[in-house]
Amino acid sequence: MAPRLLQNFNGGRAHIVTANRCAVEALENTLGKLGVSAVYPELRDGRADIDLGALQAERDILFVDGDLDNPVALDTDAASRHPPVPVIGLVGVEAPSRLKHLINLGASAFLRKPVQGGAVYTALFLGINQFLLRGDLRARLDDMNRRRRGRRAVVKAIIARMTEAGSDDDEAYDWLRRESMRSRQTLEDYCEMFLTIRAAPLDKPTHLPLRETGAGRR
Amino acid sequence: MFSTTGPYSVVARSMLNGALLAVAEAAAPHVSAPNVSVEPVIVDPAGDLGAYAGLARDLLQSGVRHVVGCYTSSSRKEVIPFFEKHDALLWYPSHYEGFESSNNVIYTGASPNQHVLPLVEHMLERVGASAFCVGSNYIWAWENTRIFREAMMAQDGRVLAERYVPVGDTEIDQVVEAILDARPDFVFNTLIGTSAYAFFRAFRAACNGRGIDQPKQIPVVSCSLSEPELEEIGEGAVDGHLSSSVYFSSLDTPANRAFTELYRKTFPQGPSTSADAEASYVAMKLLILSLAEAGTDDVEVVKQAVTRQHLLAPQGEVRIDPQTLHAYLTPRIGLSNKQSRFDLLFEAPGPVRPDPYLVQSAPRYAVASRNPALRVVK
Repeated sequence: MAPRLLQNFNGGRAHIVTANRCAVEALENTLGKLGVSAVYPELRDGRADIDLGALQAERDILFVDGDLDNPVALDTDAASRHPPVPVIGLVGVEAPSRLKHLINLGASAFLRKPVQGGAVYTALFLGINQFLLRGDLRARLDDMNRRRRGRRAVVKAIIARMTEAGSDDDEAYDWLRRESMRSRQTLEDYCEMFLTIRAAPLDKPTHLPLRETGAGRR
Repeated sequence: MFSTTGPYSVVARSMLNGALLAVAEAAAPHVSAPNVSVEPVIVDPAGDLGAYAGLARDLLQSGVRHVVGCYTSSSRKEVIPFFEKHDALLWYPSHYEGFESSNNVIYTGASPNQHVLPLVEHMLERVGASAFCVGSNYIWAWENTRIFREAMMAQDGRVLAERYVPVGDTEIDQVVEAILDARPDFVFNTLIGTSAYAFFRAFRAACNGRGIDQPKQIPVVSCSLSEPELEEIGEGAVDGHLSSSVYFSSLDTPANRAFTELYRKTFPQGPSTSADAEASYVAMKLLILSLAEAGTDDVEVVKQAVTRQHLLAPQGEVRIDPQTLHAYLTPRIGLSNKQSRFDLLFEAPGPVRPDPYLVQSAPRYAVASRNPALRVVK
């Protein structure tokens, strides 16, 4: 299920990274109407003075001027281009190199300079909700990858269970699934543990300990 | 710029009257703005959305810098780009659904926190928790119904269904049948003009036919219903409807008595005063006062001047919020009577700050559908 849409930005804080305050006057005014405060990080040797580690995805929004040369060293995931906080690009020069820089930062919406007040709500709505959607998709992709990696253990565990219990593959799978739920583990994690314990010396007990607590299934 | 002909002409004619009344007052010898001479240019887009853009462009190209006008949100959105391009000012005198704040518009009508939210509170407290929504198929109804739905659901209310009909359409029987099948506690109406009048008549008749006391058992509530429209609905279906508004002509204040009396004398053929007529009167008054203070029609100077005005309007004190350029107004709820007027049921203690984006009241996240995310599986 897609994440819920964020529609009220009250209490947000915008960090506007630009050297051209005149071009973003309407941005600050409109953000004020939307309950979002604005700060202008100082540019020192071309770098914005922002404590990136202190940024919070629930509160902070970065507006980055694409005409500046790499002003923010954001820890953006290269594969998914998912930044730690929503990034909205401020577009001046419409050249591929400038736009590519903003895309690599993970910008999920854009505003042309000089900013028109009427475009700000749409940019915030799009930028923040695309950020949330990308985060959700990345989490789902991570989960799918984890399950893909555990596929081999599941196949081996089914075969082992069929041999051990004399059952067919459906029954073996159902049993493993039931036992994984009982031990509050994912199927893949349970199968890995099942195989590890079976691989232990034969004179040791092979029953599976039930876990009291643990991460639930996603 | 008012559509004094076409599907919503009744309200628009009362709006034009309101604006012209303020012009007439400014021309009187005792007024507070003696250095301002206003010569109105009147245009009628006739409710045709396509006509608004051309008329706005022509007006602004002819040198007009201030336009009082528009009733529907779709027409306002149609003309705003021209006002932004020519750096002119639109004085928009009608309640609307919010989520807009152009720097080239002064909004003197009610924002959603001044009309739909007080109505939701009232209905949930006094009437019931299930609503059926019916509206005209355009931005006002879509967006106002969304705000209504989210406010209802946030407080455990329910919206049973939503139905939309084209602006001007009077084939309303299917909607009436659907409401009677659903049997909500009340109907939330965002129909405008002739569609609304046809609906009120058809719904009352259908209820009478089934022995249902419509005003008591399935009341209809609106954020747009005004006195001239009650007169259009006509005898037999006019009473018992709730309206959330910042102005009713029945308000018993000296300023309103003077306003309604002057209006009646000036426009004996009607239509009656309405919230939108008052908002148009307020818009023109504020424009004239701001022009007088500014000493010029320059848009930036007039915009600065309007935020310094405190107007004792027929509804009470009105002033413009410098941040949003929307008006501080006083929310009220009225119940229509057989004389096509409203009896006051609720009144806020004073003017309420406009919140066009509902940043102070809307939930942070859009309200999810009530369709359960979990279901029983074998």
